[in-house]
Amino acid sequence: MPEHILIVDDSRLSRMISRQYVLSLHKDWNIEEAATGEQAIDMAAEKQPYLILLDVNMPGMGGLAAAAILRQSHPDTHIVLLTANVQNSVQVQADQLGLGFLSKPIKEADIHAMLNALEPSV
Amino acid sequence: MIDEMSMSELEADSLMEIFNIGVGHAAAAMSSIVNEEVRMSVPSIRITTRSEAADELGAGLSLCGISQQYKGAYATEAILMFPERASFEIVRMMVGDLIPADELGEMEREAMCEIGNIVLNACVGTLANMFQKELEGSLPVFRVGSSEQILNPGHDNADPSVLMLRIDFSLERQQIEGYLAFILDMSALRDLREQVRLYIARLESGMAPDGL
Repeated sequence: MPEHILIVDDSRLSRMISRQYVLSLHKDWNIEEAATGEQAIDMAAEKQPYLILLDVNMPGMGGLAAAAILRQSHPDTHIVLLTANVQNSVQVQADQLGLGFLSKPIKEADIHAMLNALEPSV
Repeated sequence: MIDEMSMSELEADSLMEIFNIGVGHAAAAMSSIVNEEVRMSVPSIRITTRSEAADELGAGLSLCGISQQYKGAYATEAILMFPERASFEIVRMMVGDLIPADELGEMEREAMCEIGNIVLNACVGTLANMFQKELEGSLPVFRVGSSEQILNPGHDNADPSVLMLRIDFSLERQQIEGYLAFILDMSALRDLREQVRLYIARLESGMAPDGL
């Protein structure tokens, strides 16, 4: 069954790469894009995504603050940080919020491994 | 040099080694982006001014630079620089066939920002982990211009002394050379020196350091 995915990144290039890597495994999945945490919160409320890929360093509220809100509002949605910020403090916050963590540069194998590890939605 | 920085030999050696490790992570990130080996020099470290540092890079060189400001345990400006003529090729190496070439031109600036974000954070993040401190980074800023315009964009006439760490790197197959620089003012140097001392103290007390 096709899933809805939300890719949140202020870099259009990174959104395009993530989109391609998701589609190379799941051609029929529906992918929405947002450029800020604020947009992500609005779009998640509308689209109810199965998975949110979320950058950290973005204009506005940033990815971690958005993740905290999204975790509350969408407890069943998989949320994975996809970020260049490889500091332990970010990974600790990701663990505390129950988020996945992938470091940039974005690699197709990492995206596929993460997608394969997710539990299928009901 | 060590006297100028008020560092002991062990502290200066530790600082170089910590940056070497950070630079190694930056090289790995860069290599992963462009899919080829990246050679990086040993960091050179010196007290200088921004204008002098720009002269050393070459006054006639047209560069593109991606910079980010970091604050926290110490403050630093990190800058990734390439010859302007190489930027499109680097972006093309990053995306391969994922994005058509005719769409790529308009995205070049944005793509370079993302490349800078990844490479600079690979290095700065490693340093933060080793110092067991958090550093907060700004969004990347992209500039094109002379080495003076990249390294001294505020045209600071006072041009005070700064600590400059510079690493030269090359993508050999494409014959592209670039530069990675970290600039700290004198108060930030004191904060950095304190982090180095704490790092050595942890090492000497038998606590396993992060990042090695």
